[in-house]
Amino acid sequence: MTALTSTAALRETMGGHFHALGDAAVHKSAPIAWCTSVGPTELLRALGFEVFFPENHAAMLGAARTSQRYMPVVHAQGYSPDICSYLTSDIGAYLTGETPLEAYGLSGVPQADVLVFNTNQCRDVRDWFEWYGRRWNVPVIGVRSPRALEHVTTDDVDGVTKQIEGLIPVLEAVAGARLDHRRLSDVVRASRECSDLWEACLRTAAHRPAPLTFFDGTVHMGPAVVLRGTESANAYYRILRAELEARVGAGTAAIPGEAYRLYWDGMPIWGRLRALSTLFEEFRTAVAASTYCNSWIFPALDPAEPLRSMARAALELFIVRSEQPKERYIEEMVARYDVDGIVFHDCRTCPNNSNTRYGMPRRLADRLGIPTLVLDGDVNDLRCFSDEQARTNIEGFVEQLADARPAATRRVTA
Amino acid sequence: MTDGTRVIAAGVDAGTECLKAVIVSADGQVLGRAVVASRGHFEACAHEVLAAALDDAQRDAGSLAGIGATGFAMNCVTKATLTSTDAACHALGAFHHLRHAMTLVEIGGRDPHVITVDDAGRRADARSVRKCAAGVGSFLMFTARHLDVSATGLQDLAAAGERPARVSSYCSVFSTTEVLERLREGARREEIALGAMYSIAERIVEMGPLDAPLHVCGGVAEFFPGVLTALSTLTGQPVRAVPEPILTGALGAALKVLEAVGVAGEAQSVEAVR
Repeated sequence: MTALTSTAALRETMGGHFHALGDAAVHKSAPIAWCTSVGPTELLRALGFEVFFPENHAAMLGAARTSQRYMPVVHAQGYSPDICSYLTSDIGAYLTGETPLEAYGLSGVPQADVLVFNTNQCRDVRDWFEWYGRRWNVPVIGVRSPRALEHVTTDDVDGVTKQIEGLIPVLEAVAGARLDHRRLSDVVRASRECSDLWEACLRTAAHRPAPLTFFDGTVHMGPAVVLRGTESANAYYRILRAELEARVGAGTAAIPGEAYRLYWDGMPIWGRLRALSTLFEEFRTAVAASTYCNSWIFPALDPAEPLRSMARAALELFIVRSEQPKERYIEEMVARYDVDGIVFHDCRTCPNNSNTRYGMPRRLADRLGIPTLVLDGDVNDLRCFSDEQARTNIEGFVEQLADARPAATRRVTA
Repeated sequence: MTDGTRVIAAGVDAGTECLKAVIVSADGQVLGRAVVASRGHFEACAHEVLAAALDDAQRDAGSLAGIGATGFAMNCVTKATLTSTDAACHALGAFHHLRHAMTLVEIGGRDPHVITVDDAGRRADARSVRKCAAGVGSFLMFTARHLDVSATGLQDLAAAGERPARVSSYCSVFSTTEVLERLREGARREEIALGAMYSIAERIVEMGPLDAPLHVCGGVAEFFPGVLTALSTLTGQPVRAVPEPILTGALGAALKVLEAVGVAGEAQSVEAVR
C-alpha cells in the first residue's frame, strides 16, 4: 500500500478537534453536544457547541481492538451482544474508565451538556444516547426519522424539518444563546463545501489505477464526520485532494500493479482493517469505492435553505432508503468506478448497514453480471469474524475474478 | 501445449478431517486414490496420502507433471506446484464427472459451501455458512459419540429412523446438548441420528439459493447420505451426490495441474494474480 503523505495533516486536524473538545470539557469554554454521525451537526455548530461524535469514538475502540474487553461489561448490564457493538464498546469503555482520547490529553470522553440523535441510521443511536442521558441527567433530543424510503417526498422533508426546528429551543437553552440564522447558513455552506471536497477526493478512485482505496477512505473520512461545517475540515480536504490529483497525474497506484477493482458495501471491520487491506493488496485488488465512505456526501445541503436542506440531506442518505434506490445507487457506483465485483459485509450487530439479508447481492449479480461476495463479520465484535473463513472466501472470490478476466488481459496503467 | 499423452498429475485436498489424493491421466481418468485421517499432522499426512495414491496408481512421483493442492491445509502440501481454492477445485471436480452447470454443495469437516458451477466447470459464485459450526461434518462426529456409535454407524442409525427428532440449534455445541435432551426425553437413537442429518440440511438451506440441479460432494456426502435425503425433503428437489464425493476437491486440484501444463486448457489459479 502506497502511504498518503496527507496523513500527517490528518493527524493534526483530528488532534485539533479532540484538543478543542478537551478544552471545552475542562475549562467550560464552550457547551458540548454529542451528535450522531449523520445528525444535525450544522445546527449545533451554529449555536457554538463543540460537537463530539461517539460513533467516531467507537470506531477508534474497534480499530484498537480494545472493544473485546469493553463489550462484556455492558452485556453484563442487560444489553444484548446482538445489538450495535459500537454502543456496547463505547459504553463499556466509559464504565471501564478508558479511552483512546488519552492520547490527545483527555482523561475521558467529554461529558455532554446535551445529546442529539437522528434515527435515520437506526434506533440504537437513541438507546445509546439515552444511557448517557440517564447517567448525566442531561437532555436527550433528536429526530425520529422515517426509514426505508423509496422516494424522499416533500412531506418527508417537511416532517423532519419541523423536528429539527423543534430542537432549537432546547439547544438554545443549553447553549445560552439564540440561534443566528446567518451563522447557520455559513455553517451549512462550509458543510456543503466539505461534502463536495470529500466527494472529489473519493472520485479520484474512478481513475485506473485508483490513488486511494476504501481502507484509506475509512481513515481519511474522519474530518468529514467530526468536523464538517468547519474550515479546518475543508482545509484538510484541499490538501488531500491535491495529493490524490497529483497521484492521478503521475499514475501512482494505491495498490501497485492493480489488477482488479471492487466495491465495498457495508460497515468496515475496524479491527481487521490492516489485515484486510494487506490481503487485498496481496491479490493486487483495489477496493476502489464504498457505500460507507460515500455516506458523508450531502449534495442536498444548501445555505439558502439551511434547515430544510439539512432535513433533505439526512433523508436522501443510502441507509435511509429502500432496496430499489439502494440497488440503483450501487449500480451507478459500479459503473462510475468500473469495478469487477462487489463485496458485501454482513455486519452481525448492524442490520441496518447490512444489505445482504433480502437478496440484494444476488439481484445485483444477476443484473450487473459481476460476482458478489458476502463476508460475515462485525464492525467491532471480532467474535463474529473468522480470519480463516474470510481469507478463504476472499481468495476464492479473487480467483473467480481471475477466471472471468485474467489479470494479464487487464488494462494496467500503474 | 505439452504433449499430453503420457502426462499424469496429482491433486491433494488437505481437509480438516481427512486428506485426500487423486492421480489422474491426461484425459482426466482417475488412476489412483487415497484418503487418510488428518490427525493434525498435515505435512506428514500430505506426504502419506500422496504416496498412497501413487501406489494405488502404480506410478512414482517422478512421473508427475505437477501436484495441485487445495483445502484447509493446502499450504502444508510442501511439494505442491499449484494451489487453488476449495470452491474452484470442487467445482471443477464435480463438473468433470457431470458435465453440466449445477448448484454444488460441498460439505466437509469445516464450513460448508454452496457453489454455483457454470457450464464451463468454473465457480460462478460461492457462499459459506455464517460463523458457526452447526453446518459442518464435525458436528455429525460429535453426535455419533453421544449416541455411542462410530461415525459411519450414525448413518446406519439414521437409515432406521422414521421421523427426525428435533435438533435445530444454530450452534453445534447447543445442538449436541439438544441431542442429550432428546435422549433424556426418551427419543429413539435412530430418530436423533436422523434429526442430526436434518440439522445439517437446514443450515445448508439457509445458505441458499439452491437452484436445480443440486449436487453434493465432500466427506459428508460420502459417509452420510442421509443428509442428502434430508436436503431433498427440505428443498423439494432431487439431490444427488457427485461420484466419489470425498475425492471431488482432490480431483479438481489434479485437473488444475493439467490445465496449468496445457493439457486441458489455460491455468487460472489464484497464483496467477499474486
